[in-house]
Amino acid sequence: MLLPSERRWYHQVLVYGLLIGGLVVVAVPFLLMVSTSLKPQQYTFEYPPRLIPRRVTFNNYVQALSKDMFFLYFMNSLGVAVSTTTSTVVISSLLAYAFGRLDFPGKEPLFYVFLVGMMIPAVTLIIPQFLVAKALKLLNSHAGLVIVYVTMNLSMQTFLLRGFFESIPSELEDAVRIDGGGRWTIFWRIILPLSRPGLATVAIFTFLYSWDEFPWAHVAIKETTRRTLPIAIALFQNQHLTQWGQVFAASIVGLIPVVTVFALFQRHFIRGVARSGLKG
Amino acid sequence: MKRKNWTMALLSGMLILGLVLTACGGAEEAAAPPEPTEPPVPTEAPIEAPTEAPTEPPEPTEAPEPVAVTYWHTMSDAEVEAMEEVIAMFEAEHPDIHIEMTRYAYDDFKSALLTSLAGGEGPDTARLDIIWVPELAEMEALVALDEAMEDFDGIAAKTFPGPLATNHWKGHYYGLPQDTNTQVLLWHKVLFDEAGIDSPPATLEEFKESACALSKGEEQYGYAMGGTYFWAPAPVFYAMGGKVVDEDITTAEGYINGPESVAAFQMLVDMYNEGCLSPNLLGGGVGTSDGHATGLYAMIIDGPWMVDIYKADFPDFEVNFAPIPNGPDGTTSSVVGGQDIVVFDGSEHKEAAMEWARFLLSEEAQLKMAERGVIPTLSTVIGDPSLPDYFGVFLEQLKTAQARVPHPQWGDMDGAINNAYQRMLRGEQTVQEALDQAAQEIDALLAQ
Amino acid sequence: MATSTGERIELEARPSLPARGLALLRQVYRARTAYLFLFPGLILFTAFVIYPMLYSLRISFYDWNVIKPAKSEFVGLDNYQMLLSAPVFRRAVLNTLAYTAITVPGQMTLALIVAVLLDQKIRGKTFFRVAYYLPVITSWVIVTLIFEYLFNSQAGMINYLLRDVLHLVDEPIRWLADPVLAMVPINLLGIWKGVGWSAIIMLAALQEIPGELLEAAAVDGAGPWSRLRGITLPLLRPTLVFLLVVLVIGGLNVYISVLLMTDGGQPLDLTHSVLTLMVKETFDRLNFGGGAAISYLLTAFVFFISVLQIRLLRRRVEY
Repeated sequence: MLLPSERRWYHQVLVYGLLIGGLVVVAVPFLLMVSTSLKPQQYTFEYPPRLIPRRVTFNNYVQALSKDMFFLYFMNSLGVAVSTTTSTVVISSLLAYAFGRLDFPGKEPLFYVFLVGMMIPAVTLIIPQFLVAKALKLLNSHAGLVIVYVTMNLSMQTFLLRGFFESIPSELEDAVRIDGGGRWTIFWRIILPLSRPGLATVAIFTFLYSWDEFPWAHVAIKETTRRTLPIAIALFQNQHLTQWGQVFAASIVGLIPVVTVFALFQRHFIRGVARSGLKG
Repeated sequence: MKRKNWTMALLSGMLILGLVLTACGGAEEAAAPPEPTEPPVPTEAPIEAPTEAPTEPPEPTEAPEPVAVTYWHTMSDAEVEAMEEVIAMFEAEHPDIHIEMTRYAYDDFKSALLTSLAGGEGPDTARLDIIWVPELAEMEALVALDEAMEDFDGIAAKTFPGPLATNHWKGHYYGLPQDTNTQVLLWHKVLFDEAGIDSPPATLEEFKESACALSKGEEQYGYAMGGTYFWAPAPVFYAMGGKVVDEDITTAEGYINGPESVAAFQMLVDMYNEGCLSPNLLGGGVGTSDGHATGLYAMIIDGPWMVDIYKADFPDFEVNFAPIPNGPDGTTSSVVGGQDIVVFDGSEHKEAAMEWARFLLSEEAQLKMAERGVIPTLSTVIGDPSLPDYFGVFLEQLKTAQARVPHPQWGDMDGAINNAYQRMLRGEQTVQEALDQAAQEIDALLAQ
Repeated sequence: MATSTGERIELEARPSLPARGLALLRQVYRARTAYLFLFPGLILFTAFVIYPMLYSLRISFYDWNVIKPAKSEFVGLDNYQMLLSAPVFRRAVLNTLAYTAITVPGQMTLALIVAVLLDQKIRGKTFFRVAYYLPVITSWVIVTLIFEYLFNSQAGMINYLLRDVLHLVDEPIRWLADPVLAMVPINLLGIWKGVGWSAIIMLAALQEIPGELLEAAAVDGAGPWSRLRGITLPLLRPTLVFLLVVLVIGGLNVYISVLLMTDGGQPLDLTHSVLTLMVKETFDRLNFGGGAAISYLLTAFVFFISVLQIRLLRRRVEY
């Protein structure tokens, strides 16, 4: 916004001030979560509420993590999320290539059909999806979760990648064509490698979605050993009492992979967003 | 170029990892048919084999594959532990049946159950909240156990009539009462001592007085309720002589808005307006369980599960139970809650499922669950020394506790009363007006 | 294909049906590799989105019995009619529209400020980026619980601050007990959770603006504010349009936060969003046909609004 020549020292102060102020607003709820996870249940609703616990206990973490196969659910979620992410990256890039760089009859209407997929609330489709999954013998399996997750993400990710692929100059394709390569070679050797940031973006969004998804996972999996993390967290809320400390402790542990994935990919991610044509 | 190769390698690696993980999930599924936990003991219950699943082809009586009966529930951790022992006992007696239990989150249980039933993947049995039984019976999702089980009458005769009645719909019984409960008064002895009151209130008059004596602005409330859904005011409502509908469930007019009902709600509204009833019941405040243990609420009305809950989360707190104070006519009452065991019409192992239901109503199973605060429905176990002490007050209360309306539309009726209660508390209507409206709405539902 | 002479029109008279069909087939054949690329995604999409959508549409015309579908009774448009005249539904629509109208501009404005700030030359860029993005990557369930806890009327931090620290109010505010006030934590949550997402996208767009443009304008005497108005914002336009469309879709589909905080529309069914109402109808009241009707009305509305936005607002940006 400001050119180097216009910058004064007070501008820096203002910028930092605002950013840190905003940071406080953003961070306070998280701090609260951490603080509550370290308090014994009796202090959850103490008045006046204290951000710094009067008594620190790690019992909530111990309880949460040792309860009911928490670690197993965690690993299940991890496996499902990784599978969903890789499959989505693959399938949506195939779709995006077709929509972004190839021509075929029915291209535009088909694309709109995909867009509509983005607008349907997922919760609406659960029962018929259940019926289809059952017919295909996908129930009660992680494959069933992955397949539905991939499908539900397809619209958004294809849309995103399409913009990305469209922005790659066509001259690069010519080089491959001269060498006698076909569409697949172009896809594999030119488009994909140049789209790392876009693929990273897809990866992050998909991982996030898969990690946190609840309604489908709750219904599609009944074998307790195959359940995913959000279910474990939901089970902390009893019919009669919410064990806030444990819920938050479990949630914090559940945040770790997501934050890690984001931290790892964020550089690519932002560059990816920039060039994805998401913005235009 | 190096980076490109690295990326390719990473992507391929992830792809392979992903496929492997998914394949493992699939492999697990292939190995799904459960293995018997013990080798089949030929001398035990050989009669089971021929009565199993009449729809399946007759199996050879030598070492039959154990039938897996699925059982869905929403039990708490403590209850689950006891139930695991019950299952072990059952499987020891019935080596050809294996029980697979799955726990669901309470708030989402109904939707998960319905989705699965819609897809034909429902469980064989489930522990359902008693108020759902008429609904599901109406949808023809449940087996009428009084027809399907020959010994039904014998078993039913041994249960408490109140809980049994929750399974009744249109002339048939669609389940058996697995456990029951009711609500009683919990009073905070320390706070009572501080205020100079040495015993819990015996009448509802005293109840109101003590509640107000124990209220100090926002620091402390004499009484708190969990919300405005009917379950919360029900004990006081019934103790005051209130009724929702007539005995034959034909009309609410004159009942939910009858003089006793109005008096009951009026008392609560007065307590609220005078600051003796905590405002948390309108939403967004501190819950009753937390509040009572931390001394915010001197009295709450709740069920037997509080013992285990407090043991786990508030180990230093000492729970004190007392019966619901007597109403104007000198009698007490409360509301019946509980769960019923049902067998689903879509089950492919109905015989085995009913065997499981039978076992859940055996004395051993009921007493085992009682260890964890689950009140038995078998009247024959009353007086058994192994029952926890605090059961005494609940079992006594059960003698006078009343069931809510067993009707498929109960959910909406509850909503009507809930909304009425909200309107009265907010001063939008008088108690009489609010209940008159509720009566109209309930009558409309009954007419459907 | 402009035709200037009658002769040309004759020559270009529409080919016969079979001839057109053949031409189409030829096109399809030539594009066959494209279809191969489309194949996996298309299969999944058809099975798990298209079919369920059509199934759902069908249900909405019935009084659907989910256990024994064969016994369902055809009711035509009754479900839709009942909905549109039900006060509960209208209130849910109102709540949802209000939520969208508040959270979308809220998110976009704050995001723009954050993006501009993050675009400046500062230390710790990565730290700030990750920090502002944290709410985005935390699940809705968790953040809703946190906000519920924050806004607890008796022991929550917000009331504590308002009463005992800032002395702005005398009585504790009963946020979630009031049908209108309950919207405050819900909307704040929506904005808080989404700002980071929009900010990152805007930041990326800002970084694409060529520095020379801004410098040239400065040389011409334009100060920072007029540069913002005259160059930056217009160049950001496609991004802003995209964000608007996506955020509006998200706003109209608000669900989990409302469900958890209001316990499904409490009090008095006045705090429902369209989706929470739909879930209640379907899974609580077992009115599957009605629930399907709600979801169709919502989807249609979302589609309509999105297309409207794209059509009206999308314009090519000239340098």
